[in-house]
Amino acid sequence: MEARSTPRITCTYLNSYVGKNVTVVGKVVQLRGDEAVIDADGNITAHLDRDSHLSAGNAVQLIGKVLPDLSIKVLTSMDLGTDVDYNLSNTVVEIAHQHKSIFQYDA
Amino acid sequence: MASYGGGYTKTSYGAQGGDDGGGFMGASQQGSQAGGSKSYSDDSLRPVTIKQLVDCEEAYPGADLGIDGVPITQVTLVGQVRTANPQATNVTYQLDDGTALMDVKKWVDAEKSDDDNNADPKFAPGTYVRVWGRLKSFNGKKHVGAHFIRAIDDFNEVNYHLLEATYSHLYFTKGVPQQQANGGDAGGDSMFVDNGYAGTNAAAAGTSGAGNEKLAGCTRNARVMYDFINNSPGGNEGLHLNQIASGTGLSVRDVLSAADELLGNGVVYTTIDDETWAILDY
Repeated sequence: MEARSTPRITCTYLNSYVGKNVTVVGKVVQLRGDEAVIDADGNITAHLDRDSHLSAGNAVQLIGKVLPDLSIKVLTSMDLGTDVDYNLSNTVVEIAHQHKSIFQYDA
Repeated sequence: MASYGGGYTKTSYGAQGGDDGGGFMGASQQGSQAGGSKSYSDDSLRPVTIKQLVDCEEAYPGADLGIDGVPITQVTLVGQVRTANPQATNVTYQLDDGTALMDVKKWVDAEKSDDDNNADPKFAPGTYVRVWGRLKSFNGKKHVGAHFIRAIDDFNEVNYHLLEATYSHLYFTKGVPQQQANGGDAGGDSMFVDNGYAGTNAAAAGTSGAGNEKLAGCTRNARVMYDFINNSPGGNEGLHLNQIASGTGLSVRDVLSAADELLGNGVVYTTIDDETWAILDY
């Protein structure tokens, strides 16, 4: 319907997506007020919005914009609990980048 | 609607399916679907990403919608609900799986009045859901007519689905992985065939298994065509385009492109004319 993707990425792909909206699945390592550190194959700093309710140690899905300093400004977040296979998530990111034709538009 | 006779017969099947209110609308509004795929025996259930659905186009006007050159019938997808929009006859959800956005309509069956069938949206924005349904095209705008929607409890299912969609994409574009190709078509559907099993199976399959090795990297259509020629009795003249098309159920167009592919790989050669092929054994 709409040609708009929020590609799934991990820490290693941040560089390639500055200024773009992305999806990150990772583990909440640290919460500091309106900032959080998320581990998605490496630590990412996320600037949370007011509606974000994260808990340290849980998995979280963030959708947000990659800022020039490689932190993420969160647009929406979703708590995923504790039963998330991070290896699987990271593998999906790799696979999605190998087969971009079915996963993302070049914006 | 009365003028769509063909659509009606199709509908009665869908109606037996209970919740399939969507089948009626699709069949009566979309001539291309009703005309193209009459047989439910051709149906398959394909896992897809939303981007694949957004990108898919008719090969020619009036043709079935297809992905990777294969017509799609039923599809399954996962996505996060962005908006839920209840209407008189259906609930329209906008789903986002990170690859694109797509409208999914769940039709409400007025005959039933239980909880499952009122027009109140059951899935709040933000929820991950899995949808089974059919891709419909209406006034040039695509949506998925959902047969069934359920919430996803385990987030890993989202990742699993994306991998499964990739697997089917690769299966249709590049063919069965080499290791499984050795085991013949029987092993093709399973991701869990180990080397030992594939090996014994190849021995049992004999010539067919050996032939498939040459088909590594071929599309599904090319494989179907190869198998058909391989399994047909006959002399050195091979088979004509029309025989292959009618025998395999592929369109003439698909057979021609499959033949190009097989020719390019040196697996078949043309015999009495340019539209007759035989398998090249050496």
